Parts: sequence; structure tokens; C-alpha cells
Amino acid sequence: MRWKKTELADMQMGSFFLLAILAFGLVLNVSANTEVEVLYAWKANLIDPNNVLQSWDATLANPCTWLHVTCNGDNNLVRIDLGKANLSGPLIPQLGQLSNLMYLELYDNNISGAIPIELGNLIKLVSLDLFSNRLSGHIPDSLGNLQRLRFLRLNNNSLSGSIPRSLTTIATLQVLDLSSNHLTGDIPINGSFAFFTPMSFRNNPGLKPQKFPPPPPMFQIAPTPSAKGPSSS
Amino acid sequence: MVLSSRTFCAHVIIINFLLLLSCNMVYGTPTDIFCLESIKKSLEDPYGYLNSSWDFNNNTEGFICRFTGVECWHPDENKVLNLKLSNMGLKGQFPRAIQNCSSLTGLDLSINKLSGTIPTDINHILEYVTTLDLSSNDFSGTIPVGLANCSYLNSLKLDQNQLTGQIPGQFSTLSRLKVFTVTNNLLTGQIPNLRNISADSYANNPGLCGSPLPACQAPPSKSNSAVIAEAAVSEFIVCHVN
Repeated sequence: MRWKKTELADMQMGSFFLLAILAFGLVLNVSANTEVEVLYAWKANLIDPNNVLQSWDATLANPCTWLHVTCNGDNNLVRIDLGKANLSGPLIPQLGQLSNLMYLELYDNNISGAIPIELGNLIKLVSLDLFSNRLSGHIPDSLGNLQRLRFLRLNNNSLSGSIPRSLTTIATLQVLDLSSNHLTGDIPINGSFAFFTPMSFRNNPGLKPQKFPPPPPMFQIAPTPSAKGPSSS
Repeated sequence: MVLSSRTFCAHVIIINFLLLLSCNMVYGTPTDIFCLESIKKSLEDPYGYLNSSWDFNNNTEGFICRFTGVECWHPDENKVLNLKLSNMGLKGQFPRAIQNCSSLTGLDLSINKLSGTIPTDINHILEYVTTLDLSSNDFSGTIPVGLANCSYLNSLKLDQNQLTGQIPGQFSTLSRLKVFTVTNNLLTGQIPNLRNISADSYANNPGLCGSPLPACQAPPSKSNSAVIAEAAVSEFIVCHVN
């Protein structure tokens, strides 16, 4: 069968548009998954011997009826509670798309790999608890974007590299625990870090102890009655 | 005295057991429970705030984290981060047993009826404290120099007590101190050189002086000038009466 020139041209245009739509759709899929898609993609990467993710059904429109997740009044995901769930496997970058997330509770598991830099996109996050896992790599600078964060507990992992200075800009930070890792370098003492003591950083052999700045000059004060030996000159 | 081998073995076992216990206690889970139990015993609790909530019979993981006024480092671990016992009508002395809460960073005992002195070894009791609020109590005695060794202090509130003496000059070494109030006490003498602390923080003390308050008067060599002044005045009066 022979095609007319115009018909061929039409077919070419048609298939081009079809390809364009497909490509566009693919791009959309990768950059803006639904919350169900994100969580289900993560579930696919996890080993779940206790079957805690059994309720995670990908056929539902939203995850709000699933166990271990909580939604707000608008059916947006605000909490993931999977502490002590015996999970293994990595965190995936798509978790950074859960833009309404406020609590990410994944402590006491066997989660491994690095902390994705995309978690810095979770700007409503109030609590990031990844402590007691097997996370490695650096603490991403992007976590400094979490300007509402109150609890940052990454202790008891295998995190390395230095403590990002960007974390000192999080004015809301109340509890910081980076202890028991392989962190190195200096411990910041400015910004919100003025409130944190060596307890937040202990058991990181490569971390340099905090230094205290020299005291300002003292005025001439009248000698106090307390017993003091003669000053040596 | 020569120990028999049996006694010696017993001693070794006991020492090892104690060492094991103390190792466990370093990061404080059993000591934090002991800490709160001791605090509860040492304070009078007339309104029953502690009595109702601080129940030590239910020993599940992290149970003390649900107690009124207790904030923990981690949700399911008995490790106290902050203790906030403000406005509970509590009576008694400063609860030294707090020393056993070895991971404590914040202590708020404000608006209570606590009395006696602030312990002189407070820097051993509260080694890592960043926020300390003892305001609105009946504490007396002096402000201990030891507080100057609580190097992580960001906020220190001692206002509304009956503290006497000077504010230790060594407080100028507290490099993280941003909030410091001693209003409404009985303090005297030179104020230490503290950055960013305004005159309001020192109000209502009878004899505090020095920046940011007016400068301290150089104390005259007491006996001589006082006598001379007195003599001059009395001569003046005598002369004029006559």
C-alpha cells in the first residue's frame, strides 16, 4: 500500500505529538509523583520482614488510610511513623516530594545508604528522626533549608564528613543529636548551635572539641572578701 | 592482713560488678530514673503536681518521658533533656539529686517556694546546663562563683529572690550568655562585664553599680574620712549654736 505524501506528513506529525506527550508524561511522572507513588516506590526498595507495610495499597487515591502514615484535613501526608519497624534498605530521593511532611520518624531500623539531598525540600518538616540506623555518607547541606525543624536526631549511624554550617541557621532547632557517628572537623558554636553542648556530638572521634572564645577584658573590680592568695607577678 | 583466695575472688567479682554498673550509668538511663525519684522525694509537693504524674511503677521504655515537666532526648529512652517544673508550689531546698540527670540541658524551677542557697558546686550538678531559671523563689545567700563554670549557659534567670553579695566577676567568661536577669534581689557591688545585658536586668537591687548602671563610688578609707567629716559637722554645729 502506498501512502500519499500529505498522509505521510500527517502521520509524522501525529507520531511526533504522540512521542512528545509520552515524553512529557514521563517527565511529569519523575518530577511530580503522587504521595501514593512516592511511598510505594519507597516500599519497593525496602525489605520489610515484619510486614509493617502490608496496608500500603497502591490502588488508593491517597495514602491516608494506610497504617504508619498520618494525613491532615486536606488529605495531605504529614507524618510517617515507622520507628522500630525492622526495615532495611535505602531512603529514596522521591521522599523529598512529600511537601507537606512534618514528621519523618524512621528511627531504630536497618536503613542504609546516604541521606538524600532532596530531603532538604521538606520545608514544613518539624522532626527528622533517622537515629539508630546504618546511614552513611555526609549530612547534606540542604538540611539547612528546613527552617521549621525542631528535632534533628541523626545519632547512632555511620555518617561521615563535617557538620554543615547551614544547620546553624535553623533558629527553631531545640534538640540536636549527632552523637555516635564518624563525623569530622569543627563543631560550630554560632547561631542555634550556641544551645548545644558536647552531649550532642559525643562519640565522633574525628570531631574537634569546641573552643571557647577568650573572655572580654574585666573592669577594675574592688577586691572581694573571699579568700584569695597573693597574686603572683 | 592476708586475704584468703576466696575472699580475694569475692572482692574481684564485686569490683567488676560495680564497674559494669557504673559503665551502664555513664549514658544515664537508670540514673535518670533515680534522679527523678530523688527529686520527688526531696521536694514538698503540696498541690500534688508531681505526685499525680510521676508514677515509677510503670516501667516501660521511656516512661519518664511522659511525666509532667519532663522532656527527653529521644521519645522512647529515659534520658532527660529538660526539666520544667515552673509554678507548682514546690517547697524545699535546691534538689541536688538533679546531678543524676547527667544529660540535662535545661532546668526551670521558677515560681515556686524553694529556699536555702544555690549550691556552690552547681557546675558539677548542672555541668551542661544551657538554660537555668530559678526566678521567683526564696533562694538566699550569694550567687555561687561555680555558675561561671557552667560554660554553656545561654540564659540565666535569678530574679525575684533574696540573693545577697556580689555578682561574681567571673561571669564575664560566660561567652554564650544572652539572657541574664537578677532584678529584685539584695545584690550589691560591681556588675561584671557582660555583653548585650541591659540595665533593666539589674533593677531593684540596693547596691549594684558599674556599667550599665552608674559607676561604683570609690570606697573612702573608712575610719579616717568618716571621723574627719563627723568632726567637721559637729564643730560647725557647735560653733553656730554658740
